[in-house]
Amino acid sequence: MSNPLGVSIKNLKKIFTTDNSDALVALDNINLEIAPHSFTCIVGATGCGKTTLLRIIAGLEQPTSGSVFIGKEPVIEPRPDTSMVFQQYSLFPWRTVLDNVAFGLEVQKIPKKVRYQKAMQLLAMVSLTNFARNRPYELSGGMQQRVAIARALAIDPSLLLLDEPFGALDERTRHRLQDELLLIWEKTKKTILFVTHNIDEAVYLGERVVVMADRPSRIADDIKINIARPRNRLAAEFVDTILRVRAVLEQTMQQDNKEEIIRQGGKNEKIISSNDISCCGR
Amino acid sequence: MKLKRNRKKTVSARLKNIILSIILPVTFLAVWQLVAVKLNNPFLIPRLEAVLNRLTHPFANILETGSLLFNIGVSAIRVLMGFVLATLVAIPLGLLMGRINLVRRIIGPFVELFRPLCPIAWIPFAMAVFKTYTVVNLFGIRYSNTIFDTIQVGMLFILFYGAFFPILLNTIDGVLRVRDIYIESARVLATPPNQIFRKVILPAALPQIFTGLRVGLGVSWMVIIAAEMLPGSDSGIGYLIMYAYQLAEMDVLITGMILIGVVGALLSWFVQLISRPFVKWQALER
Repeated sequence: MSNPLGVSIKNLKKIFTTDNSDALVALDNINLEIAPHSFTCIVGATGCGKTTLLRIIAGLEQPTSGSVFIGKEPVIEPRPDTSMVFQQYSLFPWRTVLDNVAFGLEVQKIPKKVRYQKAMQLLAMVSLTNFARNRPYELSGGMQQRVAIARALAIDPSLLLLDEPFGALDERTRHRLQDELLLIWEKTKKTILFVTHNIDEAVYLGERVVVMADRPSRIADDIKINIARPRNRLAAEFVDTILRVRAVLEQTMQQDNKEEIIRQGGKNEKIISSNDISCCGR
Repeated sequence: MKLKRNRKKTVSARLKNIILSIILPVTFLAVWQLVAVKLNNPFLIPRLEAVLNRLTHPFANILETGSLLFNIGVSAIRVLMGFVLATLVAIPLGLLMGRINLVRRIIGPFVELFRPLCPIAWIPFAMAVFKTYTVVNLFGIRYSNTIFDTIQVGMLFILFYGAFFPILLNTIDGVLRVRDIYIESARVLATPPNQIFRKVILPAALPQIFTGLRVGLGVSWMVIIAAEMLPGSDSGIGYLIMYAYQLAEMDVLITGMILIGVVGALLSWFVQLISRPFVKWQALER
């Protein structure tokens, strides 16, 4: 098993140019250190640039300036020691569940027998062995995301990036998958970076919660969560932490609103809504 | 599971469906026969049994042009050759144009220049340029005594032209429509570009490529009938029905028409059959 690696993000800046050549600052001077083995959640409102940050770490997008290092190496393109799970259902519908999980190994030209064995182990980990021969569209949304996690783990990455993977699921399924993910993390001890807009999810999962604000996009708070696991969502500690994160987020949003009002009253210049930014991020 | 529930229709419901669907065909045949008997003019409307008699003797020599089966076979081989040639050029070109913007921008407008021009409009041009050269002549042989003697280069050109554009455009479109999330899912697993092409873009675009093949084959089949009707043609099902018209052999003419319809449907069904394992996922994915 490869050693989990840390991530360092240094002076990261990302500017998108829209069709009418407006510049949108999605990320402005972000600095973040993520320790190996750690489980970090990034929480923020839609459009604060958290998805963009994750995509840059994954190598799917290039920063305008600044850099990301995984271990000691800078990220230039997607790397075999990093893997990502998306919010949208992303399994290949023309492949069986087993062949989806084995995809990353197939790409590395690993013999069929070996890669199927590995894929079956991972399917066992997400309790979907019985569905190996099924097609993705025969599975529920929650099952599909579990397969997606297994597919991401198949190449045995040091760093696992998750972009709101449970965002489209109902609450009960989401809670079950959160527990499953924690088990996987404890078993594999990979470095996990989990992006979500759901405060409860971030506080339940993370050893550390990074709160991101937008306009200007920045890290508003960085909280260590020392609550013992399994965490009780009704415990005072848990609720207090949630309230703290919510307070920070609400504060940043109020600032945004004020800025918007000032700008609107001023020169009536075009206000770039957070939605625009998230569109560009996709 | 869902599909099975649909199939679980009661016998009476199925019988009802069959009866409903054959009402019009039976009425049509009855009216035909009635008119044929009343008119009593086989040079205008032949009787049903005359056509049936032709259909049940596919090996009989008709009007000294060879058997029904021979003429259908000649047309089918012409179409298949033109179609295969078009496929061999259009799919690789379409993949390239779908994938590389520069290639699409250079070739796209040129393709659009020719696409609206109906393939049948090329027939006189093809006859002038390729005359009556056959495929066999191309290889420097004058006469080979095979079915290839009946395949004119000009016809191949028109068939190629007819099948080419539907296949090309559907291939380009299929490649362009591959969802980004599939490509990015492969990219985060550190998949090199050539494997992304083979393992993601190609399978994702295949359903639409097969649609192009079906349309292309259909166009070829229509075009060949027109091409065979023109002067200079001496075999094929299109030639047969035109010749039957000149001799006022209406039973042959109608038999030919029926066969053209049947073979057209068979060709389409055949492509569908081959494509099924590659496109099934798209129909089932909601």
